[in-house]
Parts: sequence; C-alpha cells; structure tokens
Amino acid sequence: MAAAAAGSGTPREEEGPGGEAVAPPPQAPTGAPGARLSRLPLARVKALVKADPDVTLAGQEAIFILARAAELFVETIAKDAYCCAQQGKRKTLQRRDLDNAIEAVDEFAFLEGTLD
Amino acid sequence: VVLRPGEDLNLPNAVITRIIKGALPDGVNISKEARSAISRAASVFVLYATSCANNFAMKGKRKTLNASDVLSAMEEMEFQRFVTPLKEALEAYRREQKGKKEASEQKKKDKDKKTDSEEPDKSRDEDNDEDEERLEEEEQNEEEEVDN
Repeated sequence: MAAAAAGSGTPREEEGPGGEAVAPPPQAPTGAPGARLSRLPLARVKALVKADPDVTLAGQEAIFILARAAELFVETIAKDAYCCAQQGKRKTLQRRDLDNAIEAVDEFAFLEGTLD
Repeated sequence: VVLRPGEDLNLPNAVITRIIKGALPDGVNISKEARSAISRAASVFVLYATSCANNFAMKGKRKTLNASDVLSAMEEMEFQRFVTPLKEALEAYRREQKGKKEASEQKKKDKDKKTDSEEPDKSRDEDNDEDEERLEEEEQNEEEEVDN
C-alpha cells in the first residue's frame, strides 16, 4: 500500500527493557513503518477536548484514542472521497469529492454544514 | 458543533496531508481546498466524539473521560469499524506507557539509593488519578501551543 512508500525508513523505537529507554513521544507503534510522522499531536487534540464546556477532565488514554480515531477518520474520508474522484477519472481530490462523500455516506452526516 | 474563528483548533496541515496521502494510491493528489476541508472535518470529528464520549462518562457518573467512553462514542457514531484498531492501539499505548513508567522509576531508584519516602503505590495502575491532572499540567507533551 502507499503507506509503505510514504515511510521514512526510520526504525521505530520500542521501549527498552528498563534503563536507558529513550522515551519517544506518546505515540503507539502500531501501523505502517514511518507511522510516527502520521500522528496527530496530542496537545492539539487536547485543545479540542478542552474546548467542550461540558467536559471536566479527560484522561491521557482518552486523548490518545481520540487522536488515533481522528487519524482513522481522515484515512476513511479521504478514501471515500477518492472513490468519487475516480469516477471522474481525476487524479486530484477536489473539495467537491469531499462534499459528495459527505452526502453519500451516512456516517459523515454530522459534517453537513460544518465545513463552510 | 461550531468552530469559532480565532480559536486555533486546527490540526497540523503536514500531518493531515501525510495521513491522506498514506491512505490513497501513489500518484493521487489532493487540492488545498480538499485538504483543508478534511482537516476541518477531523476537528469536527474530535469535537463530536468528545461530546458523545462525555455523555457516556456522565452516564457512568464519572468526571473524567476515559478510553472506553471514546470507544463507546465510536460505536454510537457508527464508526464501529474503528473499534478494533483503536483497541489494539490502546494496548500498545498502555504497554509503552508502562515501559516508560518503569524506566523512570528505575532512574529514580538509581538516583536516590536510600529512598524510603517514595510511596510505592503510585504505580498501582495506569489509569490512576495522575491521568486527570495531566490535562492541566502537560508533562510529556511535545508542543504546548494552547492559548485558552
């Protein structure tokens, strides 16, 4: 898949067996190689969570899972939008492809009216 | 769910672009407008998921959002297909955090050899109260650009 080609080749550090473990930023070593470059910074996700006045506190794990979910969401919506572009035989994803995907896919209904 | 102008609730363009490119076949491009819209969509997604997750926390009479609240939110939002990969990511994250904790405790032990005053039960589980405080005091985060 394209993900492998996009990888930087930098080997991911697993935690050492205790001792001089160089602690990498809190990003899960799952997914394609070079995946660390495709990780949303937790600080930004945290800012979004804090923006909700009804939220009192959020644990670190929750922030991490939200970030990871957002990454999956971006992949999903990009792929769905691409299906629309493919029908037009275009090789560049346009805004209208996204709008079409939002209209066509039930799960994206929450986005209607929010992107303008 | 409204994104008010002036608040930097955007996610970094470079990362969004990389994720998009990683999901699409080689040679496929994305227009700036489409990328920017996807980025906004991702922010809206987080806000919506947060709100859903918070409902679950409140139902459970908890004040702190936890990972299972977020997983429940995904199901409610009809993103069940995310649940399995998210659970796997969570496992890996917990292992990593545990490794880090043990590493730093090892360092502490090496530093003060005669440490008796350190409470041993600080390391009882990953989900202890320290996680709540972390929202306010960023210990491990790379960037702190939040200007509330």
